[in-house]
Amino acid sequence: MFRSVLRTNAPMALRRAAPIAVRVNAARFMMPTRNYSAANKLTNDAVQTRVLSVIQAFNKTNSVADVSAKTSFHQDLGLDSLDTVELLVAIEEEFEIEIPDKVADELKTVGETVEYIASNPEAL
Amino acid sequence: MLRFTLARSAGAMRPATLSSRAVSALGSNVSLRRQYASSAAAVAKAVETDEGLSIETHTDVQAANKEQTDIRTNSNISSNVTADAISSGTTALNHAYRENTGFGTRPIYMDMQATTPTDPRVLDTMLKFYTGLYGNPHSNTHSYGWETNKAVEAAREYVADVIHANSKEIIFTSGATESNNMVVKGVARFYKNTKKHIITTKTEHKCVIEAARSMMNEGFEVTFLNVDANGLIDLKELEGAIRPDTCLVSVMAVNNEIGVIQPLKEIGAICKKHKVYFHTDAAQAYGKIPIDVNEMNIDLLSVSSHKIYGPKGIGALYVRRRPRVRLEPLLSGGGQERGLRSGTLAPPNVAGFGEAARIMKQEYENDKAHIDRLSKKLIDGLLANDHTNLNGSALHRYPGCVNVSFAYVEGESLLMALRDIALSSGSACTSASLEPSYVLHALGKDDALAHSSIRFGIGRFTTEAEVDYVIKAISERVKFLRELSPLWEMVQEGIDLNSIEWSGH
Amino acid sequence: MAVAPTRLQVLALYKQFIKNSKQFNNYNFREYFLRRSRESFRANVALQKPEEVARAFADAKEELGVLKRQAIISQMYTFDKLVVEPLDSQKHTPSPTGV
Repeated sequence: MFRSVLRTNAPMALRRAAPIAVRVNAARFMMPTRNYSAANKLTNDAVQTRVLSVIQAFNKTNSVADVSAKTSFHQDLGLDSLDTVELLVAIEEEFEIEIPDKVADELKTVGETVEYIASNPEAL
Repeated sequence: MLRFTLARSAGAMRPATLSSRAVSALGSNVSLRRQYASSAAAVAKAVETDEGLSIETHTDVQAANKEQTDIRTNSNISSNVTADAISSGTTALNHAYRENTGFGTRPIYMDMQATTPTDPRVLDTMLKFYTGLYGNPHSNTHSYGWETNKAVEAAREYVADVIHANSKEIIFTSGATESNNMVVKGVARFYKNTKKHIITTKTEHKCVIEAARSMMNEGFEVTFLNVDANGLIDLKELEGAIRPDTCLVSVMAVNNEIGVIQPLKEIGAICKKHKVYFHTDAAQAYGKIPIDVNEMNIDLLSVSSHKIYGPKGIGALYVRRRPRVRLEPLLSGGGQERGLRSGTLAPPNVAGFGEAARIMKQEYENDKAHIDRLSKKLIDGLLANDHTNLNGSALHRYPGCVNVSFAYVEGESLLMALRDIALSSGSACTSASLEPSYVLHALGKDDALAHSSIRFGIGRFTTEAEVDYVIKAISERVKFLRELSPLWEMVQEGIDLNSIEWSGH
Repeated sequence: MAVAPTRLQVLALYKQFIKNSKQFNNYNFREYFLRRSRESFRANVALQKPEEVARAFADAKEELGVLKRQAIISQMYTFDKLVVEPLDSQKHTPSPTGV
């Protein structure tokens, strides 16, 4: 919520200027105030690379050399449910999205997470 | 020098030091905003009424720091060699140990004995009393008074609880200095017709020593007990010093410079046996080591709020009720606080102090484990350097206070070289003068060693990364400063410094 | 009689603790509340009795309120970063918008 309280940098001010109605009705990938022209769609590969680097930063002790799409948070990375929550928060920050609690609880592997993010139109 | 920015386009005006984490937090995604409901939205709405107006106020500490260190460097207070080394600009000393490497500039805070940061949970409690609950707790004719009075009494319970006292035995004061003065002067004056003698120690805080000295002007005799090389008093010496006309024994619980814990229980037993009041200055000990006023036979105990992550400007004095301890109040007035300390209480401070005490008790185990671990790491890391030693007893100590001597290094020049770490060579009150610490003197340390000692404070909010940084920074600077020192060269050559005859000029 | 919260509710609360702790602008407070959130939730994993779980949950919810308010205050009154605090982005790749 602090994100909404303390928005002060210029790009954000511009973004905020866009009326909500426009944002909902217009094509989602073409929000007028964002300064990119291509579609916002992230490729699975790009997402996976970034997810892996988040995991690396998060899981300081283990190497991520053998982490793949099939890697399970619990079985392979040894994360319990609380760790997984924290990892997903780090991933949320990375992509500036909010993963709903119910969805988050279903994400058990790297691949599932990558897929969810790639399918989320708001991921940056 | 504080700079407050009320930036219209804050992105441009904000100092470059603001992390991109904060920036990324500020420039957030639309979807996030939808998530936050009710109260948060209300806050956001209130703030958003004026488009682009920032409610953030950034204090530019860096500018203030620079100004201060410039003054210190230019004043040439330490020896010429080190002053040159520091101002030469080509040496490692002029800069933080991490320079231009993408890190911040504000020093690490390692002076927890001087004061501690206010816990956010404490501030949260206090804010109510600066907004709506502004009644005078002594007003008993309306609800404004009742509600603050209720909060004051709840705080009193929390403060008493930590030392297993009854809340009726807690007197709120302005801090430990006032509490100590109140005891030393108040008890002595109350019993002046029959008793003429006070016992205290040479390592007490200045306020106890000075209060005792001022009682000498009123015709009292004061015995200042010696301490051994570990900083502990000799119980036999204490017992021998007690006379029939002794009214008070005042021994501090944890020393503010070396962290040594005095044997409170044993002292209490001796005082009880000889029917002398036992006062302990627990400013550094309260909530940090286990204290039970009944088990330890403590009759009077001083507490300070800002040493336990509470607000500054408030403290307490525990005064035993059974058997009753009588003392003459310092302040006369409306008779608040059982007539011992007149004056309107400050409910924000009292409530904050109470919350700080409550948290000290609640977090005791967690804080202890954290501080023990970091303290061990710090001591091991610092003592890995040659010719360093830990001052004060290694066994009877509060681990959050680590005092280390670095032989052949001048403490003040080391401190000046450590602009990236906020440290002190002794207590805040005496470090302004460049006199070596009287506490270390009492331990039998010579001037040189007392001068080369530095005190490190570890607390609830100290992190492992900070300790790692401090160990590395200190080790590097000590090595550097020693290389400048002719004494160090002689030591390396195997010359016994004591064999040298120094010629005076 | 208080009803014990579901697993999902506990995890959601934990997420709130982590997110709000991370919002502290002050390095030492941020690190402390992150550490403390982790430790206290881990310590309560062992709780079995529904009433104990319910009480811990209610206490934590109250603490979350404090955390939320104080994180906002910490963002309002900011100071320079500490020498141990990295200034660089937490992001691993620059976002396409360049924000």
